[in-house]
Parts: sequence; structure tokens; C-alpha cells
Amino acid sequence: MAILILYILLNVVVVAFFLDEILKKTNPSQDILYSFNGYIIYYFLMDLLLRFQMQELPTLSVRPYLHLRIKKHQLINYLSLTSLWTTFNITPVLLSLPLLIKIVLPQQGPAQFWGLLLSIIGVTLSNHLFSLWIKRKVNLNAVWMLIFLGTLLLFVSLDFYFKLFSISTLSAELFTFVMASPLFSFLFLFIAFLVYFLNYRYLKSNLYLEELHTADSSHKSSTEIPYLNRFGKAGDLAGNELKLILRNKRPRSVITMSLMFMFYGLIFYTNPTFSGYAGIVFCGMFMTGIFIINYGQFMFSWQSAHFDGILVSKVNAVDFFKSKFLLFTLFSSLCFILTIPYVYFGWKVLIVHFVMFIWNLGVNTLLVLYFANQNYRRIDLSKGATFNWEGVGASQWILSIPLLLAPFILYLPMSLLGYPEGGLAAIAIIGLFFMFSREIWLSKLVKKFQEKRYLIAEGFRNK
Amino acid sequence: MVNIPELFIKKGETIGLVGNNGAGKTTLFRMMLDLIRPDSGEVISDGKNVAESENWKDYTASYLDEGFLIDYLTPEEYFHFIGGLHNKTKTQVDAELPSFSEFFNGEILNKGKYIRDLSKGNQTKVGVAACLIQNPQLLMLDEPFANIDPSTQIRLKNMIKEISLEKHITTIISSHDLNHITEVCERILLMEKGKIIKDIATNSNTLQELEQYFSVLS
Repeated sequence: MAILILYILLNVVVVAFFLDEILKKTNPSQDILYSFNGYIIYYFLMDLLLRFQMQELPTLSVRPYLHLRIKKHQLINYLSLTSLWTTFNITPVLLSLPLLIKIVLPQQGPAQFWGLLLSIIGVTLSNHLFSLWIKRKVNLNAVWMLIFLGTLLLFVSLDFYFKLFSISTLSAELFTFVMASPLFSFLFLFIAFLVYFLNYRYLKSNLYLEELHTADSSHKSSTEIPYLNRFGKAGDLAGNELKLILRNKRPRSVITMSLMFMFYGLIFYTNPTFSGYAGIVFCGMFMTGIFIINYGQFMFSWQSAHFDGILVSKVNAVDFFKSKFLLFTLFSSLCFILTIPYVYFGWKVLIVHFVMFIWNLGVNTLLVLYFANQNYRRIDLSKGATFNWEGVGASQWILSIPLLLAPFILYLPMSLLGYPEGGLAAIAIIGLFFMFSREIWLSKLVKKFQEKRYLIAEGFRNK
Repeated sequence: MVNIPELFIKKGETIGLVGNNGAGKTTLFRMMLDLIRPDSGEVISDGKNVAESENWKDYTASYLDEGFLIDYLTPEEYFHFIGGLHNKTKTQVDAELPSFSEFFNGEILNKGKYIRDLSKGNQTKVGVAACLIQNPQLLMLDEPFANIDPSTQIRLKNMIKEISLEKHITTIISSHDLNHITEVCERILLMEKGKIIKDIATNSNTLQELEQYFSVLS
């Protein structure tokens, strides 16, 4: 996940620096600033939707202070202020600042520059506070979500379907006007303040834990995962871990993200510049191995809450590791099956995917488990996964180096010599080799685990 | 720092571990369960070093804290899993569960909750019951009386007395409740700053003796 966030942030920075070029290409007939302004409302509508999906509500953080001699309004301010530090609030400024400096400042002057910047900050803050407010409302009553999504849908359909008005024109006119009279930017800050007040009033009358935080009270039933039984104790352990994934927020969001990654190929394969094997190798490794990479990099932290229990119970370390392989195989196979439709882009895609599937099962599983033995960080399963840095340490960063480089070290020399198929074969052979010699590596991993388990358990006990 | 030069526990003994916070009771438990590696010395269980052989897991059941429970399972699923580790089928475990009905007091089974949604006291009940399902020869409980209601405390005391009498199980329990511990245990170990400073065979004066020690300290 750490790699992923860095990758996304890098994309944002690159887009930001070439924003004027991009706008010139996409709307050649229009003034760059005019087209820039035209996208602002679209951006913030998307932003609102994304925030609604992913932004965390910082509510439980006030729990230790509720009974102390601290005024309610201080608590509310604390809640609102601590929530500000999210990527959602940084990206708008990050995205627009280069363009503002490159174009607005020299062409229009400092007043216009500040006017536009303050407006963008104002809308960002309004969006931020509004999404917090609506999420809290939804927590109490889900009807609010329908109202919110309905209104959003109405606006978008008025634009695109009924063509009654154009959000783009509205946005362009509005922000061009703000540039013409920069003082109007304070209006946006004022709106942000209004939403803040709305939030404030709501929290003031609802600052009770059970109202802020809705515990899931639905009936939980015992289930059994039938197919896994045949693998004996390792199967039971894998079944438990499957339940861990399905019943806890953070691992569940890892799975959702992994599924979204299945569309990764569409970006690459539709682009003719990536038609070589290298692109497919990269893409195929991520798509068929996304679970191993995304979930595996935090092993055994997922089980940090009950790791002591695992150590003292009659769980054999070999079974413990075998259950991980079982889980990896299960999910990777699923991913491979899901990516079969990419055969549309040619048989070669399917073949490379299969080779990378083998590679993932043979090499990346071992790699991830090797690093799992060095990972002593506890994870709270009940928190969301988006932009959650808990449990991220050096081991995840170091892991990403061999993970990304290894297949290319095998592939590139052969490919540069003019035998790309040979490179592919090398990946497949090494993958198969590690798959068939897995028992040897397994016993090495278990031995290492027996040495490290005290350190791992100690780390996991530190909350 | 826990520093215990020597401690022998005979088979079938019921040991009570007392001492103020930070005396090292939980650390001692963790060392005996091979969760912490002692800097020097070793823990021998049934003639084998616990850090080297895993045989002790066959006959040792323990509940120290919620970290021993898999909290996203329902209590039933957890019992089945623990039973399965000791080669008991689901049906066998299900057949045993009714014997805990008094101890559970209707708050554990078929409640449609995951263990994480239970109160701390009810989690303790799950942990203790999971221990007993394993039919242990050696039972270790860290402050089992701490979060449970008075009726359950009494039931737990009776259960422990019963199993140690009938099945001759070795039991090690820690507690801050001197009444309970002197009532259940035949031998009391008093810990202070990582050392066992008293090793008493329980008699009618033990409670008084312990109360005196703890009141002098404060």
C-alpha cells in the first residue's frame, strides 16, 4: 500500500506540473485559464464523492477527553482541526499551485493569484467539513445518503442528459469572475465557515459516543467455509484468516482495492506504446499478485491482536505458514481468472499473465513471508485502509524493491539481446523452481519464525 | 525484571499467584508459556524445556488476556476452532458446551455477536471455557476473577475446585482478590518486584497473613 500511495502522489505531482500543457492539448481552442476554471466544480464534485467513500470520521479520538474538565466547544474544535490533515485537502492545492504560479501570477497579477488560490482553499474546506457533517448524519439515518446522492445525480444528469445547463460553463464563468474581482474569494471562505458552524452545531448537540459511533448491531452468525476443511489444520487456519478478511474493516478495504486493481490493465493495454512484454509483465504481476503484495506486506500484523493466542495454542508453525500459502493461492487464482478477459488484447497477454501468476505463487509468496518475519508492527483492524499508515514500516519499503525489480532483472537482459520470449521463459522457470522447492524454503521460514516469534509477539503487544 | 532462582510446581497442585501491579505475575505466566524468552534460565514442563519442545501445548491451556481470543469469530466458532486443534469434532465440542450453561449465564452462546462485541467479563468467560474444552493437565489463568460478576466468580471458583479435585489438574491462577485466591488455592506464591518473596501452603491464617502484608506495604 505504501508503494501505491507514493505512486498516486507522484502522479498528482506530474499532472500538476504539466497541467497547462494538458489543458492546451485537451481544449486547444480555449484559453488555458478558462478551461482550468471550467474543471474546478467537476473536480470538487468528484472530490466530494470520493471523500464520502473514503474519508475517516475522527470521532473516537475524543473519547478519553469527554469526561474531563474540557469545554465541549474545545472538543469540537479539536475534532474539526485534527481531521484537516488528509490527502484530500492537500491534493487540490498541490494540483493547482504550479499552474497558478506559472500562468496566473505572471499573466494576471498577485491579487488574481491569491483570489483563485483562496477560493480553491475555501471550496476544499467546505467540501471537507460538509462531507464530515453528512457522514455523521448518515451514521444516524441512512436517508441522508439517498438525499445527498440524489441531489448529486440530479445535477449531473441536468448537465449531461437534459443539457439544461453546463456545470463546466458555470464553473468557468464563476471562477473567471472571481479572478476579475478577487475579493469575492472571501465568499468561499465564508461558506466554509458556515459549513463549519453547521458541523459545530450538530456536534454540540450530539457529542455522545453512541450517537457519533454506530456499533454494528446486526446478528452475527457462525459460518463454515466448506472447501477449506480438506486441507486439515492449515485449512482451518486459512478459514479463520478468510473470516478475518471478511469481518474486519481494514483487510476488507484491501480486498476492495485489490479488485479495483483488476482494471489496471485497461490503462496499459489500451495504450499502444506499452505493447511490449515489459508492460504486460509489470501489469500482470500486479494484477495476479495484488493480494499477495497488498495483504501479504502486512503479515503477520493482521493477526497482531491475537498473536499470543496463536503462539500458546496447539498451532503448528508449519501449518501456520501453509495456511498463508493456501490463502495466497486462493486469491491469486481468483485474480488470474478475473484477468482472463484481457485475452481480448491478444493471446500473449494471457500467457504473460499466467507466467506472472506462477512467479507470484513461486517467488513473491516467499518474499512476502520472509519479510513478514521481520515485521513487528501492530495493526488495528477496525480502521479503514485508505491513507492509513499504521503498520507501515521499513520492512514494507524494503520489500517493494525486490518485488518490483526481480522479474525485470530476469527479463531485461534477454529482451535487450533480442529474445524477449527467453526473458519470459526465465521468469517462468524461476517461478516454477521456487514453487516446486517450496518445502525447503518453508522449513527455512519456519526456523526463522521460531527465532523471531518472541520479538514479533512483543511488538504486537505494544499498542 | 522477573528473577526467580528456582520454583517447583508439583502435578495436581493449585497455585495462587498474588502481588501488586508490576510484581511480575503476567511476565512469569508469559515465560512459562514461552511467549517471552528469559535472559537466562529455563522453564521445564514435564521434563522438557518449553522453548525447545512444543509438547507442553498438548496439555497446557491458558487465558491471560483478550489477546488470546480471536475476536472476529463468534464464541461458537472459536470453541470449534480450539476444539479442532485438540482433534475434537464440531459435534463433540457442541456436546460439551451445555455443561458451561450455568457459567455462561445465557450471555455467550447463540447471541449473534462476535467475541469483540462482548463485554470484557464475557470475553473472560469465553477464554476460560476455551481452556476447559482443551481438557488440560495444566491450566493457567491470569486474573480470571477481575471482570466477571459475583455470581460467575463463585461459579468459577467452584469449577476450578471441582476440576482440580476430580481430574487432578495442575492450576496456576493469579488474582488481586485475596479471599478468592486463599479459598481456591492450596499454595500461594507472593510476588514483589519480580521475586517470589513468600511461598505459603494455605491454612486458616493465610488470608490474614496476606492482608497484613498488603496493608503494611501501603
